[in-house]
Amino acid sequence: MTKEEIIEIIKKHLKDNLDDIDIDTVSADSSMRDYGANSLDMIEVVSATMRELKIRVPRSELADVQTIDALAAKFLEHVE
Amino acid sequence: MKPEDVLKFSLADFTYNDSDGVLNPPEDFNAWIQDPRVATAMSFFEQPLHNSPKPRTELSGGHLGKRRPVINLTSYNYLGLSTHPEVVQAAAQALMHYGVGASGAAMLSGTFDQHVLLAQELAAFKGQDACMLFSSGYGGNLGAIQGLLQKGDVLVVDSKCHRSVVDGATLSGAKMVSFAHNDAASLDETLARHAGKRRMVVVEGVYSMDGDVANLPALLDVCDAHDVPLYLDEAHSSLVYGETGRGLGEHFGVEDRIGVHFGTLSKAFGGVGGFVCGEASIMRYLKCYAASFQFSCALPPAIVAAMRKSLEVATRDNTLREKLWANVRHFRSNLIAMGLDIGESTSQVIPIIVGSSGEQLIELAMAAQERGLYLQPIDFPAVEAHSRRFRISVSAQLSAADIDEASNIIEDVIARPLGLVGAA
Repeated sequence: MTKEEIIEIIKKHLKDNLDDIDIDTVSADSSMRDYGANSLDMIEVVSATMRELKIRVPRSELADVQTIDALAAKFLEHVE
Repeated sequence: MKPEDVLKFSLADFTYNDSDGVLNPPEDFNAWIQDPRVATAMSFFEQPLHNSPKPRTELSGGHLGKRRPVINLTSYNYLGLSTHPEVVQAAAQALMHYGVGASGAAMLSGTFDQHVLLAQELAAFKGQDACMLFSSGYGGNLGAIQGLLQKGDVLVVDSKCHRSVVDGATLSGAKMVSFAHNDAASLDETLARHAGKRRMVVVEGVYSMDGDVANLPALLDVCDAHDVPLYLDEAHSSLVYGETGRGLGEHFGVEDRIGVHFGTLSKAFGGVGGFVCGEASIMRYLKCYAASFQFSCALPPAIVAAMRKSLEVATRDNTLREKLWANVRHFRSNLIAMGLDIGESTSQVIPIIVGSSGEQLIELAMAAQERGLYLQPIDFPAVEAHSRRFRISVSAQLSAADIDEASNIIEDVIARPLGLVGAA
């Protein structure tokens, strides 16, 4: 699996959780917060993505992750 | 989960249960929580007190197990009203008269004369038309926010607001967005981004994990510019801030600009419950639509009678508040002299921030309890992972000797292991 494929999974779950988001405009260099995600939305997107990838990354390791790209890179480290 | 990874995980990691059945906790959660290192950390939760929440009390549980005397820096009993003789007597008299429970929800059989009087007295105290009582602080925020907002609305909350505010937003169906903690420019930007929607802003008087206070004048300027009401949660500031204890709104002289005044009866009041004060029309509406108000058993009448006495004792003069603030100054100066990081705290809630290591936090917490200090560790995810901490709740009941003895222990078991020097 590539980082780009993980980014697409994150974007899919972002779309599922935010009512008014145009997913084609989402940049991986941005934060989910930039598109109106609140803390609960982000927990949902992160959890749903990890479930799909069958990984469990400690939240404490995600605390400093600022962008969707960095989140995908962190997930990639845990994908076998 | 590999043994070396156990301590990287926290309660934040098992929110979503991916097991086959809803009655089966996640398999790795079971393994994680039974690891001896995690079990030790969890043993700090739900430690039984065996006496009243005074500065000197008795505790069991934790890693030590046995019942033992402690200096209590953890209870919310800011003014000592939970154990004030007049308050206890009022509760005892009411208990004998009314019995134990309210035996009904407020709208049906659960309203007693004591509830009506307390609501009137709290409304008068806050300078508002009306007040409604809730059976808990959590239920108060939950119900008030759920009752005021609906799908299509936007609730704009400070990023450090309490879980009850967040859950109220979820229950209401409104969209919840947060602004950077106490940052008026961020609030302005957030409100502008949602212009055209029905909006409400929620901030807290004193933030419970950091002990800092809302910058109300600047935040209200932004709210006023956008014509959006401010809901002020004074859970930790009621009876503590302001010339007469009315809270942070009184402290800043901005009470008439606040849309909804929320408070709890479980902190400085020394009992349990929540209350909301505001204009009569909105309180009347809220009573009809706040589900936690309608569908909870009302507060026990004896507690309500005690809270009336708490209000009277705390407002007849400033004696208790002055003692509390003298204790806050004393404790703060001791902690600062040791070089400890107390963050932005300016209130009676004083964190001791120890950093990013959960293992170190628990080691320090064990040492504190071994020296007879009841000082709870606050771990991630309750606070950010890089700022794990202890939290001191200063009480007016502490004597100067209690504060100095507790400070000496803190110096030995926290300041020295952190490599700090200085003396209390």
